[in-house]
Amino acid sequence: MSVGIIANPASGKDIRRLVAHATVFDNQEKVNLVRRILIGLQAVGVRNVWFMPDYFGFYDRALEVFTGENSLQMDTRLLDMRINADQEDSQRAATLMLEKGVRCILVLGGDGTNRVVAKGCGEIPLMPLSTGTNNVFPTMVEGTVAGLAAGLVATGAVERENALKRAKKFSIWVNGQERDIALIDAVVLTEQFVASRAIWDVEKIRQVLVTRSEPFHIGVAAIAGSLCRIGPEEAQGLNIVMNRAGEQPQIRVTAAVGPGLMQDVSIADYQTILPGQRIPIVETPCVIAVDGEREITLETEDEAEIELSMEGPWVVDFKQTLSQAVAKGLFRK
Amino acid sequence: MALDKEEMLELYRKMCLIREFEETVSKFFSQGQIPGFVHLYIGEEAVATGVCANLVKQDFIASTHRGHGHGIARGASINKMMAEIFGKVDGYCKGKGGSMHIADVELGFLGANGIVGAGLPLAAGAAFANKYLNNNGVSVCFFGDGASNRATFHEALNLASIWKLPVVFVNENNMYGISMSQERHQNITDIADRAVAYGIPGVSIDGNDVMAVYEATAEAVKRARAGAGPTLIECKTYRHHGHFEGDPTVYRSEDEVNQWKKKDPIPRFGARLLEMKIMTQDEIAAIADEVKREIEEAVAFAQRSPVPAVEELLTDVYCD
Amino acid sequence: MPEMTYSQAINEALREEMRRDDKVFIMGEDVGIFGGCFGVTTGMIDEFGPERVLDTPISETAIMGSAVGAAAAGLRPVPEIMFMDFLAVCLDELVNQAAKMRYMFGGKAKVPLTLRTVLGAGLGAAAQHSQSLEAWICHVPGLKVVMPSTAADAKGLLKSAIRDDNPVVFLEHKMMYAMSGEVPDGDYTIPLGKAEIKRAGKDVTIVATSLMVHKALAAAETLAAEGIEAEVIDPRTLVPFDKETLFQSVEKTGRLVIVHEAVKTGGFGGEIAAMVAEECFDMLDAPIKRVAAPSTPIPFASNLESAFIPNEEKIIEAVKAIL
Repeated sequence: MSVGIIANPASGKDIRRLVAHATVFDNQEKVNLVRRILIGLQAVGVRNVWFMPDYFGFYDRALEVFTGENSLQMDTRLLDMRINADQEDSQRAATLMLEKGVRCILVLGGDGTNRVVAKGCGEIPLMPLSTGTNNVFPTMVEGTVAGLAAGLVATGAVERENALKRAKKFSIWVNGQERDIALIDAVVLTEQFVASRAIWDVEKIRQVLVTRSEPFHIGVAAIAGSLCRIGPEEAQGLNIVMNRAGEQPQIRVTAAVGPGLMQDVSIADYQTILPGQRIPIVETPCVIAVDGEREITLETEDEAEIELSMEGPWVVDFKQTLSQAVAKGLFRK
Repeated sequence: MALDKEEMLELYRKMCLIREFEETVSKFFSQGQIPGFVHLYIGEEAVATGVCANLVKQDFIASTHRGHGHGIARGASINKMMAEIFGKVDGYCKGKGGSMHIADVELGFLGANGIVGAGLPLAAGAAFANKYLNNNGVSVCFFGDGASNRATFHEALNLASIWKLPVVFVNENNMYGISMSQERHQNITDIADRAVAYGIPGVSIDGNDVMAVYEATAEAVKRARAGAGPTLIECKTYRHHGHFEGDPTVYRSEDEVNQWKKKDPIPRFGARLLEMKIMTQDEIAAIADEVKREIEEAVAFAQRSPVPAVEELLTDVYCD
Repeated sequence: MPEMTYSQAINEALREEMRRDDKVFIMGEDVGIFGGCFGVTTGMIDEFGPERVLDTPISETAIMGSAVGAAAAGLRPVPEIMFMDFLAVCLDELVNQAAKMRYMFGGKAKVPLTLRTVLGAGLGAAAQHSQSLEAWICHVPGLKVVMPSTAADAKGLLKSAIRDDNPVVFLEHKMMYAMSGEVPDGDYTIPLGKAEIKRAGKDVTIVATSLMVHKALAAAETLAAEGIEAEVIDPRTLVPFDKETLFQSVEKTGRLVIVHEAVKTGGFGGEIAAMVAEECFDMLDAPIKRVAAPSTPIPFASNLESAFIPNEEKIIEAVKAIL
């Protein structure tokens, strides 16, 4: 009956505040979000909460207000782990939470944070809360509501089959080894550095692979969204190859590739892809960005393939979960 | 914006030059050949290097007490810098300023500064001058996490934001204000959060990644030149040495220092350039030799230079 | 020669310098649309626009600091700090930055800024809006300090200050803004470092600054009726200080009374007294007297404030004590 909370203090501050019109999501707001989550969790009977330690100290800061008559009726603890203030912290925290037997993990961050958590969480469902303006995987959800939904799943008050959806994912294979995953998109860039991580210059994009494609997506996934619709549970993805400079484009689309950043994109070709199919990347040397962050650098001699899988992380459908709870009369006093 | 091979090698060389300069200063300071205080930039080289690679002639930088790296990155003469640190007449300031006051206004280097946070309004003023003269210049202010608690930070960001000044505020968050760890000196960890209060973009980047610094600064400088106003860039970094040479660093653990040394910006960038085959091991060794030689020459220049004549005590107080 | 107020003379000096040199600009709290707290910069924004007449937020540190940066970068800023008392808020920018930059950088920087600010009691503005803190500034090598006592001096000295390549602190007395005087026409300047004998006399030298010049002159008139001829000298600039004019006067009179509105302890009068004692001791026929405010904060109640400010009677008393 325990849940985990992984809050990324670094999310919401990347260079898209400068190159697009994203907003700084300050950590004090995340502290408030965590407090609301705790109240929601407590209200549906969660008694144990594990926190990932982090350089900002969400655990201490969120809990400092719950004293005296406001004390929480739950056991809150910090995982015993070393923090390096990098993304591996979230992955290791997810693995430790898996070992502790948590039944749901609330993730405060963006697509990138969820990707890393997904690498460590196994079958534990995620309740992702967006703390930025450029996300597809996590949704903007009020903290109390997210806490309630996550708690209903963790306590078993709403059954998994009525509460969860399974996300897709990409496996990124480099020279025959699985190097990384992506939950939403993998983008091949004619770029040689990870540098400030984000993507904003569409001129550098050579190939975009998406696990889902919806017209309301933001980020590079929006390029796919402007071509065709593939739902989050459909057993297919999309592979888009961009024009090189000077080539005659087959299709030109305009897409919201960042918050407040509309760009015209010239596409050479695109096709749907199926689970298990390994799609070779079209260019090296390159950088592969996964879920919006430049992550993998490849040299000329490297070979990489990207494979769609239906076995991504389980995700709490908070609307459906809460509807089920209401139908069961769980909120009636 | 993409850098060519020569430019990338130059970034690497510059970081090596700063490192070698600082290690040499450290050595001579410990031997008692350098008077006063010195604050070394070792570990933070990627910030100055990545930032200054975006600047042109009419731009200004304002620096800090930890300013050697900023000066070298801006292109200051290492001979004159070294001579100044040794207190010699051929130094930038004729030996009258020392480590904390090295400046070259002609070069757009408004000086190191002995007062924490003093550079912020100076940089805002230089940016105002660029805007007033309509010369498309920008100014950059380097400042530490400690300085972000000073009134100068808040007043300068406010002024720059209302006047849309072409200035880039580059925070070097090395996690300590002298002996006070960031968690003890401010209730936030990401200084970029403070941009929100002034309605300007604030970004937080890996300050030990020279390309991340280069890229973020390029965008901020572009924005400033276009008249869109100031940006706050927080570069997370770490000083390998203490606050000053001789600092016993009782306030931090060896383990912490070692963790950060693993993220050392120079071998990190070097490894990437090797991976990309832009640079060979031989070239790395050649750069190391070259900067060593340059710094040896700078030391020889400094040692050869006479001390200032006693009459210098009374000059330069006023312009005639 | 046209008559104008001290305030108008300053306004005219600013305008003439801004017309002459487009690198000159003014900045400060309420100097633009509002025309300045004391109306000194009235109308300037209409002539020069908001690009050269800059209203700033209430941020003395940013005003002084950005003025220093702009000056180092090639402009000639004329920042205003609304009350001299507020210098305490931005002393670093004045004392550690502006004053020292040239020396620290080995003579390779210029900081041509003129800081205008307002001193003096008499308005019931109490302890934080009335002080005369010129001694603080004089103590810092690298700054020049100007204290004009008439409209003509204000104009001529301000123009020189703006043309000077050093940081100059220009101190205006708030009780003199409405005083009128004749001001020469045309491009007229007074060199910094040149005292003026405001009244010639042979029996005693009275050195007075700023508003105290007028009180000293009034005292001299009263003394003259009793047959005592006082010579009244206004140094006009404290740094650089015109020793020659003072020493010549002391040589003639053999007696010295120093008058300033600042508190006596650590006041610039001590410096003047020491100069004369060190260099003209033999010329003195009597001990040097200082007339200055008591070493207290400046009180609010009118009767207390009047008691604080040095006046004609105290000057006469001091003169008579050494005759």
